[in-house]
Amino acid sequence: MLWSEYPCMSGVAEVAEREGLFTGYTLGQAYDEMFARPGEPRWHYASLHRQLSSLSYDAFRRIKVMTDLSMLQDGVGFTVYRQEEGIERVWPMDPIPRIIPAQEWQVIERGLIQRILALNLFLKDVYNDQFILRDRVIDPRLVFEGAFFRREFVGAKVPRDIYIHICGTDLIRDVNGRYLVLEDNGRTPSGVSYMLTNRQVLKRVWPQVFESYTVQSNDDYPSALLDVLRYIAPGGRPDPTVVLLSPGIYNSAYFEHTFLAQRMGIELVEGRDLVVDQNRVYMRTTRGLERVDVIYRRIDDDFLDPLVFRPDSILGVPGLINAYRAGQVSLANGVGTGIADDKGIYPFVPDMIRYYLKQDPILDNVETFRPLVPSHLQHILANLERLVVKTVNESGGYGMLIGPASTAEQRDKFREHIRQQPRNFIAQPVVQLSTHPTFVEGGIEGRHVDLRPFVLCGEKVVVVPGALTRVALPRGSLVVNSSQGGGSKDTWVLAE
Amino acid sequence: MLSRVADALFWMSRYFERAEHVARLLDVWFHLELDLSGAGAPYEMHWTSLTAILQQHVPALGNDVLPQVGIAHWLTFDLDNPGSIMACITRARLNARSIRGTINSEIWRELNKLYWKLSDPEFIRRSKESPYEFYQAVEAGSALFQGLCDATSTHDEGWQFIQLGKFVERADKTLRILDIQYHLLRDLTNPADVSLSTLHWAAVLMSCRAYESYQRRHVGRVEPARVVNFLLLDPSFPRSVRFSLEAMARSLNAIERDAHPRELSKADRLLGLMLAELTYRPLEQILASDLHDFLSRLIDQVGQVSRAIQERYSLR
Repeated sequence: MLWSEYPCMSGVAEVAEREGLFTGYTLGQAYDEMFARPGEPRWHYASLHRQLSSLSYDAFRRIKVMTDLSMLQDGVGFTVYRQEEGIERVWPMDPIPRIIPAQEWQVIERGLIQRILALNLFLKDVYNDQFILRDRVIDPRLVFEGAFFRREFVGAKVPRDIYIHICGTDLIRDVNGRYLVLEDNGRTPSGVSYMLTNRQVLKRVWPQVFESYTVQSNDDYPSALLDVLRYIAPGGRPDPTVVLLSPGIYNSAYFEHTFLAQRMGIELVEGRDLVVDQNRVYMRTTRGLERVDVIYRRIDDDFLDPLVFRPDSILGVPGLINAYRAGQVSLANGVGTGIADDKGIYPFVPDMIRYYLKQDPILDNVETFRPLVPSHLQHILANLERLVVKTVNESGGYGMLIGPASTAEQRDKFREHIRQQPRNFIAQPVVQLSTHPTFVEGGIEGRHVDLRPFVLCGEKVVVVPGALTRVALPRGSLVVNSSQGGGSKDTWVLAE
Repeated sequence: MLSRVADALFWMSRYFERAEHVARLLDVWFHLELDLSGAGAPYEMHWTSLTAILQQHVPALGNDVLPQVGIAHWLTFDLDNPGSIMACITRARLNARSIRGTINSEIWRELNKLYWKLSDPEFIRRSKESPYEFYQAVEAGSALFQGLCDATSTHDEGWQFIQLGKFVERADKTLRILDIQYHLLRDLTNPADVSLSTLHWAAVLMSCRAYESYQRRHVGRVEPARVVNFLLLDPSFPRSVRFSLEAMARSLNAIERDAHPRELSKADRLLGLMLAELTYRPLEQILASDLHDFLSRLIDQVGQVSRAIQERYSLR
């Protein structure tokens, strides 16, 4: 739809603009997704900006209320359990969509494909020949001392040589709008159900906003995921039985587990539904035991099999790992992929891309300092109040020191830890994540966002056009995690 | 189908059906109370019969609490009472939540909407003044839930477990309502009590959502023998005991058909025996014997069927 088709509306928009939702919208130093300059939207946001400007605060508030209600009624959320009924919290969705032009997306897509290919080649290598370690591209100690390196699996074969089948890569944009990879989540990444439900909800509560855009559908994700899972069936077995293994209703991502199982039409099982006999995995059904071929597991390595990993795990299945090693059942993601998204290994992903693929990385990493390198260590210790320090084996925003927001006491503690265990930390400059107009009490303000696209690796690598945009709702906050007051946005990849 | 899933479907449906029965009984009892106060009958007896039907021991109420208000609260909102409407809806929802991958999202959404509606403090406050709206919401929610199950899910094994849960509960409740009320009302033979008796028997029909269907069948005053006949033996009224047992037998048959076509399960046998009696024994004979005995034996057998089903499919 062209602007010129509605000449009469421009006057209305101008009036609304003066008193409307964007009153007092300020741009900080961060890159703003919508505005190139104050009051001047980028071309792909122009139409959305016009629509928003023509709405009153109350009208948009109604959309937000409907969004919240819709999420509550669909039971979209994560759960904090107390008694039987539990406290259920909806992960708040902001109805203002984030928009990515087609050309920008193509670069992201190519970068992600390149990255997952390299990560899978790296995993195959470190669990077999270890060329990259012998060639000293990566210090072998970094791998062998990694908490998520599973030495038990050295030499084990996995179907089709794929270790990471599903990867959720976190991207951020720096002050110049350049996309950078913040981390790869190659164990059991979550969030894709929000990518899909956010779209459904937005279509329901604010259908008009789609009218002037051609948004690529992200709805194919569950089918694409099922294709991957079927592709890795043991021995290429035709028509395999695929199940999703969940820790159960008390897990914070339980909604996503049920959502995906339902959309793929596969059984959602818990550890107690499965039993291993002679290295074959079965589920208990009303008609006796039924063979299982592929398990999309949403349980961490540590809890998968009490006989091999944590003996106190009641979520897992005794004997599962032996069955996996014997090639009688396939797991997605594979066991031991955590070494690839270990933050201590992360700085070397660009080197992996050059080493295995003989290509230059399309997406850059965030500049990272490693305390193991003496010059880096010096820099870190001297500039702690300007850096973000991360513990390599933590995720979800835990185990972090955000320099500018830290106290001298906290910094001293981290200095001590870093000196004692240099392998366990990395440090990065504070990146001002890009901001995006977000509806808050009183109007629209800029809030920091990141971007998590989901990459599927099977017969081919597929990046479904769409992503989860997480938004840090408190003003000025750079922490987008759902456990730390984050929300989310529908994320549009444009067709043109 | 996973045993755990079958179990959750069975209990989801059963708890929902139970919530519906409690809601309707309370609704009917409140209405009846208003009528009875006109007829000058003791309402102690009235509320005692309700708690007897629901096998509930209401904890001692404070002196400043009206008995009917205390009982209604205990049966409606109190989460300490596993038989209260809210507890049943909460459990139905918990079961549904544990199998969200199996049931259709429409079903989940409606169940969830009902739960949040009933949990809304404002709605609860309103309901305490006028409980009708609350009980209506539960009844309508249950009808919507069962309707969606019927109209949107495949009538496969899982659906059969939903049927089993629903009809086990329905047979049990209908039997208990008949049993307690028959026991209570059989002494009302004095001609002066006719209007009181009619009121009560009409309430029995309403408790089973059978009043209008009954009246379309039988013109005139509500008669105890006809009520028993209708609620116990009618083959086409979907809330009668016979209908419920036949539905259970059909579902069991469908579940077993492919798995063990030649074998009769324990639940099958029990149902067959009960149905033979309800189908072929004349009403006069049933009424001539001790009806209370007859009904309590059936109640016991329905319990046995339920346990046999749980055992056979390794439900919990």
